[in-house]
Amino acid sequence: MRTLFFFLAVMATLSLPSWGYAEDALVVYSGRAERLIQPVLNAFQAESGINVQMLTADSTALINRLQMEGDRTPADVLITNDAGTLERARELQLLQPAADPDVEATIPGRFRAPDNSWIGLSGRIWVIVYNTIMVNPEDISSILDLAGPQWKGRIAIPSAGSVYLQTGVSVIRAAKGDQVATAFLRGLKENAGSLVYGKNRQIVAAVARGEVAAGPVNHYYINRHLAKHPDAPIAPLPTDQGKQGMGVVLNASGIGVTTHTKHLTQAQALVRFLISPKGQRMFADVNKEYPLNPNVTAAPELLPLQNIQVADVPLSRLAQLRDPTMTVIEEVGLR
Amino acid sequence: MPSPLILLGFCLAVTLMLPLLYVVFSAVTADPAVWGRLWTTRVPELFFNTISLSLGVAVINLTLGISLAWILTRYTFIGSRIWDWLLILPLSIPSYVLAYTYTYLLKRGGALEHAWQTIAGPEATFFSPFSFEGAVLVLALNTFPFVYLLARSAFKNFNVSFEEAARTTGANRVTTFFRVSLPLIRPSLIAGLFLAILYVASDFGAVSLLRFQTFTYAVYQQMTGRFDNTAAACLSLILVACAFVFLFGERWFRQRSRFYQTTGRYRKPTPQPCRPFTALLFTGYLVLVFGAAFGLPVLLLIQWTVTSASAGDITPQFFGYVWNSVSLSGLTATAAVMCGIPLAYLACRRRTWAGTFCVQGAYTGYVLPGPVAALAILVLVSQTVPQLYGTILVLLMAYLVHFLPAALQGMESTLQQLTPNLEEASRSLGARSLRTFFYVTLPLVRGGFLSAWILVFVQCMKELPASLLLRPVGFDTLAVRIWLEASEELYQLAAPPALLIVVITIPVVLLLMRKDRT
Repeated sequence: MRTLFFFLAVMATLSLPSWGYAEDALVVYSGRAERLIQPVLNAFQAESGINVQMLTADSTALINRLQMEGDRTPADVLITNDAGTLERARELQLLQPAADPDVEATIPGRFRAPDNSWIGLSGRIWVIVYNTIMVNPEDISSILDLAGPQWKGRIAIPSAGSVYLQTGVSVIRAAKGDQVATAFLRGLKENAGSLVYGKNRQIVAAVARGEVAAGPVNHYYINRHLAKHPDAPIAPLPTDQGKQGMGVVLNASGIGVTTHTKHLTQAQALVRFLISPKGQRMFADVNKEYPLNPNVTAAPELLPLQNIQVADVPLSRLAQLRDPTMTVIEEVGLR
Repeated sequence: MPSPLILLGFCLAVTLMLPLLYVVFSAVTADPAVWGRLWTTRVPELFFNTISLSLGVAVINLTLGISLAWILTRYTFIGSRIWDWLLILPLSIPSYVLAYTYTYLLKRGGALEHAWQTIAGPEATFFSPFSFEGAVLVLALNTFPFVYLLARSAFKNFNVSFEEAARTTGANRVTTFFRVSLPLIRPSLIAGLFLAILYVASDFGAVSLLRFQTFTYAVYQQMTGRFDNTAAACLSLILVACAFVFLFGERWFRQRSRFYQTTGRYRKPTPQPCRPFTALLFTGYLVLVFGAAFGLPVLLLIQWTVTSASAGDITPQFFGYVWNSVSLSGLTATAAVMCGIPLAYLACRRRTWAGTFCVQGAYTGYVLPGPVAALAILVLVSQTVPQLYGTILVLLMAYLVHFLPAALQGMESTLQQLTPNLEEASRSLGARSLRTFFYVTLPLVRGGFLSAWILVFVQCMKELPASLLLRPVGFDTLAVRIWLEASEELYQLAAPPALLIVVITIPVVLLLMRKDRT
């Protein structure tokens, strides 16, 4: 018996010091896939010698968490894959404004919060990936076309939890109204059947294998797939171009320094690293996203962003559109 | 003045019940608009999905459980004793691990589809893992041992005289099986089914990876996808209410269906040797079931672990995750046993209304699926002691609320078997109650308490939803790593932690089963 108690006591004491995180570490709350952000953070850690700790979770859950933690939060910066979430965090005063001339000179105004409390890092457009053997791209002019009956059984779509889908629906609601958005979602649901995927990567792979002809995805999943399989019969199609078109949906991943950070200088160092040519190059080369620093060129195989017409919905408006969008998606019953 | 024991028990019970009360409170006081939205958009679908999933799993469980138990209790053939052990092993695989191996096996162009196409032609397709069929398959393979084990012990302690009577009065084998044997083991079948259904309805790991919308998963989605927790609380309330109805239903059912051996002869069945062809057929069936539920997934995990180890993916960080899991689980198990002692004592030695209240209160955690327990603790902590949020203590509390009932059950039954006479003798010889406890009671019950500790330890190692929602920064557990990697479909990276959990769980499952048998 005594041995047992001894064992338990040792166990408890040993585990005490290992709890929690190192006090001097820079804590990053990240809503991005670890695979897409870890290499950049590692590069920062190597260059600056600042120890970085990351907590990965759903962007919305991270905002809830920040709100609940209040001024006790261990988080120093928030990184998400959706500008709407960052704007929401700003409205809740979870992020602190900054007057950094460096930032203002580097990142164009439309990719920042007015008070710089969040800063866009990389851009992504919501396009259609199509199988070049099965589809004539001239048959598609708008993303809304995918809801038409001719696509029944031929498309794969993202799941309801996808931030990209939510952003896309928000923009369609803003541009065309709730009824059009609802009809679009009903059509998608009908056409995709059981081909609802949690990851854009899976949609791209399904199109490349020819299981389906097309699907809506973020552009860089197509380029990442092509980088690995150069012969895959897939191509990106930016929709809704031309005078009448609403333009493609553009969203930005971004970063904000929390209001209650205890490591302000280190957090700002991370921001500056991520918008610097070196950091931006990694978003461009490794992730195939559009760098938002205009001095850094996108990967050569990408469609040039300046040739693409982008939907005229400011990133900061995505925040207000978000909750009603969720309700629309739930009402249609997307999974 | 109530005794210190009652006071202690009362404090524990209230602490364990508070989270649930908070959820109920926030659901009841929620804006009616939220309820309206949920009723029109989510609730009907969730009811339909949860119930149909449970029924689907139940049907497969019954078929597998009864047939396997029948084969292994009525026949002997080469290796039939080993299967007895092997068929328990599927219980050592957490549902999310099984689910993620099946997302790989069942995916388009995956291994199973290729195999199937060589038989059924190149156009043949398998069902997607992300479907009703996929969820049913994974959860049935994960839970059939519950039904199998109970059916098996029922068949073993079965009086064959009934069957012989049926046969002599002219019934054939099939009729005898369905009209006599099955109805007689009904109580244990129903117990096994209830266990499996409760498991399915509260499962988070498998349904979240397979994206099959059940109540438990929807609670998690509302918590992580919405900016407030009201909707999650509302769904939780519905789920908990159903669980209560279900548990009372089970109790009522059990009381109504009891069969007794009244008079006459009682003879246990003796297993018959069977012909080589039949033996081959049986072995083939057993290999198929065992392979699908355990063999194939574990082989995959081993293969992936080897690949990922040779690619250098097992970093020092991995051992950090191991340490997080082990230390937190050990601590929770210790805390659970400590809290369990006064409660078990109350349950066995002080059968007053106050004692009963404390014990029943502590069992509340049974009706709280993981995400609901996490939500409850989250709401409670943020309202009362927000300083604790984001610390390890919150996670510990969630684990305790969730797993104390399991510990308490084992400890209660151990203590029950110990006659109070021994303690009374010690007291009458002048020892105080604490001294009596440490020198008389504890040494006698430590085996049972130790297995309660182990049980909680293993449950915590596998725990996923609360860990995902409440973990502090830099405190990923093995289960969290598996889930994060698996939901990105990075099969190799998820394999080492998954294999480790399975390896740790196997001896515990075998240990608990051995105790069950003797």
